[in-house]
Amino acid sequence: MKIKVTTKILDANERIAEENKKMFKEAGVYVINLMSSPGAGKTSLLEKTISAIKDRVKVGVIEGDITGTNDAERIDRLGVPVVQINTEGACHLDANMIADAARELPLKDLDILFIENVGNLVCPAEFKVGEDVKVMILSLTEGDDKPLKYPLMFQESSVLIINKVDLKDLLDVSIDKIKKDAQFLNPKIKIFEVSCKTGQGIEEWTNWLLTSIS
Amino acid sequence: MHEASIATELIKIAVSECDRSGFTKIDSIKVIVGRATGVMTDALLFAFNVLKEGTPAEKANLIIEEIPVRGICRDCGKDFESNENYLIFECPSCGSFSINLISGKELNITEMEVSNEN
Repeated sequence: MKIKVTTKILDANERIAEENKKMFKEAGVYVINLMSSPGAGKTSLLEKTISAIKDRVKVGVIEGDITGTNDAERIDRLGVPVVQINTEGACHLDANMIADAARELPLKDLDILFIENVGNLVCPAEFKVGEDVKVMILSLTEGDDKPLKYPLMFQESSVLIINKVDLKDLLDVSIDKIKKDAQFLNPKIKIFEVSCKTGQGIEEWTNWLLTSIS
Repeated sequence: MHEASIATELIKIAVSECDRSGFTKIDSIKVIVGRATGVMTDALLFAFNVLKEGTPAEKANLIIEEIPVRGICRDCGKDFESNENYLIFECPSCGSFSINLISGKELNITEMEVSNEN
């Protein structure tokens, strides 16, 4: 016999993401899903950001990597709670992984939770994890053609952080083109130019961050 | 995209619907896949045929219907439809990225045929 069904195949992830969102809201924690290509500077940005704000707000981190604990060790040195997820091959974090990892964090004591996604400019943009805001990093060394080649990430993110701007005189890359194309794809995107190496622009970013959680 | 994960979810949903209706065997599953999802139907079929083994969907055929993309450009007002894969949400007329997508993001199970094993 025939059965009519009208189930969205990826419903499960969206449902768990909604539950995560509710759990975070009840705990009073603001959640940032941080995404970029490998090597763009996600962990470096977290190190700079956490050092700048940890005296004012309580921060926790979930680190997503295919394998290894290198990033969690870097965050652990800053003295904030961190959980490492190893996806063992998966190219993105999903809501279920976050639900499990979040149970190991003192959510009620936290003001901000950073979720560092797997380095990948494609897949993480397609999976909600229950975040309040999606923040992406593009580093100058990746080239100024990236917004138009990887549009979904730029369309899904509310904030674009352009990292490694200290290298701009050494590279044939136009920051203006990156900004123009990103705004073309996503007129509302908020853009910060930073260098995690020199600290340039970090204060503007952390000020914005502290304002948005208050 | 993630055809193997999608096939896994699809089988999970179909098997639970089949159980719930009191049947033991799935003969066919119909799904609709929008052209803007980035799902490759060949890869989905391949993953389904591998992953269905050992489940009540073991003998099931997967029938995939592709749904065209329809959108309206918020800038020039152009109403467009396309049967091609559509991954960069760009207006074919004026090039704007401000698109109101009406269809193309579907990824749903719509119907299954089930029976009892004799």
